[in-house]
Amino acid sequence: MSSLHRLMKPPRLADRLLTWFCAPHLREEVLGDLHERYALRVKGRGAAKANGRYWLDVLAYVRPEFIRRQPSDYPQPTNTTMLRNYLKIAWRNLIREKGYASLNMAGLAVGMAASTLIFLWIQSELTYDRFYSKTDRLFQVYNQDVFSGNPMVWGTTPLPLAPTLKQNYPDVEEATRYRPASLLLTAGDRKMNVDGAYADPSFLNLFDFDLLAGNREKVLSGANGIVITKSLAEKLFGTSDAIGKTLQIDHKDSFSVSGVLDDLPNNTQFNKLSFLLPWAYFIPPGWDSDGWGSNNNYTYVLLNDKVNASAVNEKIKHVTAEKLKGVIEDVSHRQIFLHPASKWHLYAKEENGQLVDGKIVHVRLFSLIAGLILLVAAVNFINLTTARSEKRAKEVGVRKVAGAQKQSLVFQFISESLLLSFFAGLLALLIVLLFMPTFNSLTDKQLSLELGSVNFWLGAMAFVLFTGLLAGSYPAFVLANFQPGKVMKGIHHSVNSVFSLRKGLVITQFSFAIVLIIGTLVINDQIQYAQNRDNGYDQNNLLFMNMTGDLSTHYAPFQQEMLHNGAAVSVSKSLGPITSLNSRQWGLSWPGSTKADKDVEFDRFAADESFLKTTGTRLIAGRDIDVRSYPTDSTAVLLNETAVKTMHLKNPIGTSIRFDSHDWHVVGIVKDFIFASPYEPINPVVVHGPAGSLPLSWISVRLNPANTTAQNLEIAETLAKKYNPGYPFEYIFADESYKAKFADEQRTGSLISLFTGLTIIISCLGLFGLAAYTAQQRTKEIGVRKVLGASVTSIIGLLTKEFIQLVGIAFVIGAPIGWWFMEKWLQDYSYRIAIGAGVFLLTLVSAILIVTLTVSVQAIKAALTNPVKSLRSE
Amino acid sequence: MRRSDLGEFEEVVLLAVAALSPSAYSVSIAEELEHETGNAVSTGAVHAALQRLEQKGYLRSELGEATAERGGRRKRLFTVTALGGRVLSDVRAVRNRLWDRIIPNIRLEWS
Repeated sequence: MSSLHRLMKPPRLADRLLTWFCAPHLREEVLGDLHERYALRVKGRGAAKANGRYWLDVLAYVRPEFIRRQPSDYPQPTNTTMLRNYLKIAWRNLIREKGYASLNMAGLAVGMAASTLIFLWIQSELTYDRFYSKTDRLFQVYNQDVFSGNPMVWGTTPLPLAPTLKQNYPDVEEATRYRPASLLLTAGDRKMNVDGAYADPSFLNLFDFDLLAGNREKVLSGANGIVITKSLAEKLFGTSDAIGKTLQIDHKDSFSVSGVLDDLPNNTQFNKLSFLLPWAYFIPPGWDSDGWGSNNNYTYVLLNDKVNASAVNEKIKHVTAEKLKGVIEDVSHRQIFLHPASKWHLYAKEENGQLVDGKIVHVRLFSLIAGLILLVAAVNFINLTTARSEKRAKEVGVRKVAGAQKQSLVFQFISESLLLSFFAGLLALLIVLLFMPTFNSLTDKQLSLELGSVNFWLGAMAFVLFTGLLAGSYPAFVLANFQPGKVMKGIHHSVNSVFSLRKGLVITQFSFAIVLIIGTLVINDQIQYAQNRDNGYDQNNLLFMNMTGDLSTHYAPFQQEMLHNGAAVSVSKSLGPITSLNSRQWGLSWPGSTKADKDVEFDRFAADESFLKTTGTRLIAGRDIDVRSYPTDSTAVLLNETAVKTMHLKNPIGTSIRFDSHDWHVVGIVKDFIFASPYEPINPVVVHGPAGSLPLSWISVRLNPANTTAQNLEIAETLAKKYNPGYPFEYIFADESYKAKFADEQRTGSLISLFTGLTIIISCLGLFGLAAYTAQQRTKEIGVRKVLGASVTSIIGLLTKEFIQLVGIAFVIGAPIGWWFMEKWLQDYSYRIAIGAGVFLLTLVSAILIVTLTVSVQAIKAALTNPVKSLRSE
Repeated sequence: MRRSDLGEFEEVVLLAVAALSPSAYSVSIAEELEHETGNAVSTGAVHAALQRLEQKGYLRSELGEATAERGGRRKRLFTVTALGGRVLSDVRAVRNRLWDRIIPNIRLEWS
């Protein structure tokens, strides 16, 4: 029996558990106690019960007094001990070399901040119009046709298209018409002109913007319900709780608010939208029609789940062509196609009748710039760290002799870089927060950091980790590769070999900087060039007003009093502001015109009188339009020089032209002027009298230059209030809207300038450190040279020369790349500069100047050092 | 009570050490207490109490002999120190005085 009992062993797993948690110095007595008692229990109550109790007994030892280890007099290294040592050494190195550490950190921080800003911008661009819950099934319908050999594509569609698509094609789940409109809204005594749109009831199903109040299905189905945004509700009613409140449109029709939308996000094409009116209320203006021939509305389509868009495309592509047979002469090329929502913002450039990459080019360009800026910052870090590696060589030697493995040294130096990039990350965060408002106004975005979200911090950590590895990996391997024997004996690399290692990197940095400098110069030149282009009219003191409300009926007295009160020297009705293109016309015929001439597109403008005097355009031949003196002038036409050339007219004055169901007669020729884009060539233009089908719904005013603008505006406002009391006084200045045409280019220009500046700063930081180090390395050499009679200038030359050479090489690499990029950029503009030698010369000179300035500070310092000091230093 | 740092379980363990001396160790004490009280007593609880008592200076310990049941491991034997003995008798004196003050009739009612 007793031998059997002795064979009974307590559960081994329990023993193992106890051995794991129990402090080593108590293990013997505790295990002994447990086993002895186990043996007693087996004897008394049997093995099964003893086993159960054994577990309980073991667990009874889970107390701090048994788990706590006995303190020892000797160190017991753990995993974190070495790590702490690494951090301590890293910290000491940072403190000892404050200058280099801050150069390193500043470079990294600026680089990280710049790429973060660009990254935020890219993120906002990539989510543009892609956040609807049905994004992947949303499409806009585009039109395609070929006019006299020119393929064209455009986004407006006939009015009946949407209902037809929905009715006849089961693949189309919903189709909605959309038509932007700017209307006067009044609520009580508050009135304002607001941008909004007419839309079919399904609009809010396609685009699921947050509806704060109201039923998504029904808000737009009633005849007089209007959906407004929260901020418009607050402006009109002083509260966002506006359901059921009434407002008036154009002082005519009353609508009651049926839904309140949350303010639309910044990154949707509808972001200017403040209200939605039911399509049922929409009455096409006189010049429009609900036939298939007019394309003035947008059509959005929601396809059914799991329907292939290209298959649908194939089915619907001839819908409009079928309906247009007999309406227009040639329908063989007329097509419609679906453009997916994910491409609306970034891939919607109309070129040769196709939609091609548009803003995505900018996104790609700026991603490239972000990556390269980060790389430049990392290169700085690599250069400075490897250049100064000899300072750490002894440490590496000692660690290796004491048994450190290469991988643990690599780990040490990488963790050092990570520490530095962590600090740089904090600094970058500060910079980003500080410059966010500036960057937002520069990019016209509302970017922000989501400091509250976990994802943001995870992303930030990943970014810091990435930067640290990018910058720290190479130096870590270089340092870890030192041979203890050699470094302990003190064999150093020669100055040249230390330097050559980094030459390539410096050249890379500066090549990039040079490409950017060329970009900045070319873009700014191009903007300057287009701004200086003679626009053919006088944009100062020129003002436009939309004829709203009663102004059209009271136009005559308004005009009289404007002139009489001295606010204006000339006032005329026009088709629109001359700064924007309002209408185009084709199908003109004139004596001697061919059939192909019918496809020639003319820019169309109209005025009732004194067109030349009001706009400040210049007359070449004939006279101005003047319906007052010549009643027949309602069908008079002015041509611009380009039109005369296009039409091959020998004696243009008096020629009869037919379009828009009228016969027009040419009364004068105007010098070419810029209608729309200052970058485009000038099209043929007809400026016609008021007889056409388009109403002259704008007033152009040439203000009296003798008065101040404020005085003129005051008179104009009083008169506008008098003759059009129901509407606010609103106007556009020609010079401001002309300036706005440059906004896009100017934005690109200032962004590129900004990033060029940053790249140069980062590169110079690195160069500054490198120059300081080279100068320090050669202290003795410089001392000896000075003792032997070298002049200060020759020593400065000696130290600067190498860097200048590097910039030269970088220029040779960077200049062609920059030229290639900028040629591509300029291809988009037909009125453009040619990239001349001046740009490259300026780039080279400025690059050399920047480098010389950066390096010579160190060089002069080294050259001025008293040789007694430098030679005595050991 | 003069010494407030002596818990009830500790007091019992201290008494047991005194009673089982010279072979008082975790197992013998736990077995004894289980036998006397009828409740399960783990060696862990006893051992912990013994350690605390030793820290307070009421007990001292030495390593004793190893046996086969213990897998050749030695046991830690405890003996009461002079201080421990004094504390025990103090506690007992307090108890006794209080017991003596209970009116005999009442004591009869309980039993």
